[in-house]
Amino acid sequence: MLTLRGRWMSLLGAFLAAAVGVGVVALSTLLFASGKAPVPDRLAAAAVIVRSPAASVTADPFPEARPWSSPAATGLAARLAAIPGVAAAIPDRVFYAQPVLDGRPDESVTLGQGWAGARLGGAGLVAGAPPQGDRDLVLGRTFGRSPGDRVTLLTAAGPAEYTVSGVVDGAGVFLSDATAERVAPGVRAIGLVLAPDVDTAGVASAAERVTGGDGQVLTGDGRSALEPRADARTRWIGMQVLTALAALSGFVTVFVVASTFAFTVAQRRRELGLLRAIGATPRQVRRMLYGEALAVGAAASVAGLAVGAALAPALGAVLVDAGFEPASYRVRFEAWPVAVSLAAGPVVALLGVWSASRRAGRARPLEALREAIVEDRRMGRARWAAGLSCAALGLALAAGTATSDDAQNGATFALYGAMALVLAAAALAPAVVPPVVRLLTWPLGRVRGATGMLAREGALTAPRRTAGTAAPVLLTVAFAVMVSGMVATSANAYAARRAAAVETGTVVVPDGTPGLPDTAGRGPLESTVYTGERPLSVSGVDRPGAAISRGLADQYGWSVGQSVPMVFADGETVPVRVGEIVDSGLGQVDMQLPRDLVRAHDPSALAPMADLRAAEPAPAGPGIRVVDVATYAAEADTEEDRLIWIFALMLVGVSAGYGALAVANTLLMSAVHRVRDFAVLRLAGATRWQVALAAAAESALVVAIGTLLGGAVAVAALVSIRAGLSEQVRAPVDLVVPWPVVGGVVGLCLLLAVLAAAVPARGISGGWTARRSR
Amino acid sequence: MTTVMLREVRAVYGTGPTRVTALDGVTVGFDSGTFTAVMGPSGSGKSTLLHCAAGLDRPVEGTVTIEGTLLNALDETALTRLRRDRIGFVFQAYNLVSSLTAAQNVALPVRLAGRRPDPDQVAAALAAVGLAGRAGHRPSQLSGGEQQRVALARALLRRPAVVFADEPTGALDSATSRQVLDILRGLVDRDGQTVVMVTHDPMAAGYADRVLILADGRLVEDLTDASAEDIAARTARLEASC
Repeated sequence: MLTLRGRWMSLLGAFLAAAVGVGVVALSTLLFASGKAPVPDRLAAAAVIVRSPAASVTADPFPEARPWSSPAATGLAARLAAIPGVAAAIPDRVFYAQPVLDGRPDESVTLGQGWAGARLGGAGLVAGAPPQGDRDLVLGRTFGRSPGDRVTLLTAAGPAEYTVSGVVDGAGVFLSDATAERVAPGVRAIGLVLAPDVDTAGVASAAERVTGGDGQVLTGDGRSALEPRADARTRWIGMQVLTALAALSGFVTVFVVASTFAFTVAQRRRELGLLRAIGATPRQVRRMLYGEALAVGAAASVAGLAVGAALAPALGAVLVDAGFEPASYRVRFEAWPVAVSLAAGPVVALLGVWSASRRAGRARPLEALREAIVEDRRMGRARWAAGLSCAALGLALAAGTATSDDAQNGATFALYGAMALVLAAAALAPAVVPPVVRLLTWPLGRVRGATGMLAREGALTAPRRTAGTAAPVLLTVAFAVMVSGMVATSANAYAARRAAAVETGTVVVPDGTPGLPDTAGRGPLESTVYTGERPLSVSGVDRPGAAISRGLADQYGWSVGQSVPMVFADGETVPVRVGEIVDSGLGQVDMQLPRDLVRAHDPSALAPMADLRAAEPAPAGPGIRVVDVATYAAEADTEEDRLIWIFALMLVGVSAGYGALAVANTLLMSAVHRVRDFAVLRLAGATRWQVALAAAAESALVVAIGTLLGGAVAVAALVSIRAGLSEQVRAPVDLVVPWPVVGGVVGLCLLLAVLAAAVPARGISGGWTARRSR
Repeated sequence: MTTVMLREVRAVYGTGPTRVTALDGVTVGFDSGTFTAVMGPSGSGKSTLLHCAAGLDRPVEGTVTIEGTLLNALDETALTRLRRDRIGFVFQAYNLVSSLTAAQNVALPVRLAGRRPDPDQVAAALAAVGLAGRAGHRPSQLSGGEQQRVALARALLRRPAVVFADEPTGALDSATSRQVLDILRGLVDRDGQTVVMVTHDPMAAGYADRVLILADGRLVEDLTDASAEDIAARTARLEASC
């Protein structure tokens, strides 16, 4: 019969597993929910905003809306201003502008506005006058300048001297409306400032009627859709990280809690058999376990939520530092993550106990009467079916990974594929464990001494228990090896591709600015054009006519020589002649256009870099750096690698940290229940240390089994990832396994496992008798 | 009247080379209000006989009937209900739930049946086995004999048609064994309870009205009102011939 302490330990183990899991779920959902975009400061005073027609969402998650041309925007603004209750309807003209303070570009502001736009943000003059001339500007008071001061301002045209005509509240940069109209001819939003005490909803519906289909009316929090594109992109990356984190932690939690409960039930077979013998029906046994799971899950929810909520602000700050969230990111406690976390514990516990309770219900009354429990080694048909179908699904996803030519899809397939393979390995473990044990312990059989024999036979006689304790190791090793291997392999593949493309020479790159102005050289201008609703990324380079990729040409049926109408950044529609169709694609962009054409229609476009030809003198000025190509490529790699490594470490940290906890948890539970076996060993003449050694050896064997199976899963996933990568970069890719990470994770599991098993075993004193307490 | 009837019961364990025939076509009935002891050397099938008679185990051939109900026809849940309502068990290893008090252990089957236990009835059952003052103690605070008497009180609470006892005195010294056997004898004489007990102890078997002796899964002796000495002589002879 179980002791009260033993039972308590079992439930405590399940509680810990569920609480930590709920903690991680709470943490990631809280952070996820906080990732809502704020209403941009520059539009805070506009209660209603009319946005230009949204572009259709394609591969780019942040298509910028197709702009109105300047005359169209002015006309629409005049009609909107006529709505009763509207004090002013002002086109939101924004463009690249960055003040240079003390010789360096100020990185806090990269957006300039026309003076009329100041009213949309509610900023009023605190000193001086509005900007009149081309070289006048109004600065926010945070820059600490006064009217009359001279300030260098960077725009797409290059650095120029401006005179401060006035100072406003906040941190904005304002040029005269005439200048703004020239540098920002395309308009994507018109802000409506309402008269006092006017009903927002009434104005919004009137604005709907005025715009018809040509625009979208936004009010309240909906206005956050106009947040700067760079912030939205950063936020999107953060969402990807948090989604992966939430998906992985959810999976790991259900897995660990399920294996903990399965383990608990396996350990309690005698107790359950006794209950069956004195009259509990299978259904009553199941109900009892469900009840326990609910209680444990509910308690775990509360504890986990408290831990998650306490840690959320700290991790939020880490996300901002790492560049996964914009600086405006703050952790907010929304209702739904709290509800999700509170529900997660009971749901996870019920899912976890479901299969275990089915087995428990089948426990036969006679099991209470048997002296030693030698497990029935055969696996049920349902378990075989579940294991084999998970394996099939995992292999199908691996095949999807291998043939995917899109990096994002490939990584997603790989993660879910690995999850399915982990499930398959865990489900089939009881069948796989005996041959693996025989293989691993073959040398032990040749050695004299009892330790090896005890470890080997202990693992062999109870394959289910062995499989249960090996499961968390399997999970931990599989994800640690897969995630770190995936990152290392893809970083290696991309570095190889860049190295192949490297040319010698010197380039000009931005230094503290989002891009290069024209004064830094004729670099490729980044802009967007629209064909119908679809945005196309374009690069303005020195070439005649347009070059498009084969894929795009096939999709739209365009051929060389054809003239296609395109909407440019200034809202004008211009026919573009297709000059060339490129089979190999154009790298990051959909289309190349003549540089002067792009400049003419997008006066604020910037270039990410510019080639410096040998004959030219190196340009100078603020916001510019001249480096050789190799340094430039290495820097780009370093930044990208840093982000990917932080991401990978978070995923490995969650799965490995939690997995390691589960390893210690199950082994500790197992050790407590095996006190009687160990006491028998003591009576048979084993010393304290021999018992501890036998327990440690058995744990080490379990870790070895988990490592072998987990490694097999990870290798299967990595091989498919490698195939997918070489599909993308069109070159063979070497499989890179970061051995220090793998070694660290396996070592951690081993250390925890040996400690968790050996410490309780060693505590059994010589005076302890194998009392028949059953 | 026959309370429990086994006909041509065969029970087999294991498969292949480890296959063991535990019962080889046994037919036996247990009459209402009698005390029967089942004896035999280790491996003779006496425990299997008890398990099959009580519906804890299903024979591969033959039928088992309790109070006219054919056990072979019942599914696991119906069988559990029948055991809970009509059969009492006492095991060698007591099998009490260690986290529950004596009174809670006694009341457990009633709770499992979904009914509220009657505290007076529980107290009476404990008093009947001489443990009136021990209701609040947990198994770890009770001696072996006391634990076995709690198990007996649990078996008797629902007034079962038959009590099966598997080596009930196997873990007890002779003085406490006699206490437990006196209680069982009293139940038969006073209340007309049917008791079937597996034992290897001739002294314990001496308390029974009828002694069955099994060897190699077959019934070899069926004695009525035998003395402990007579039983000891016959089992000794049997064990010597094995």
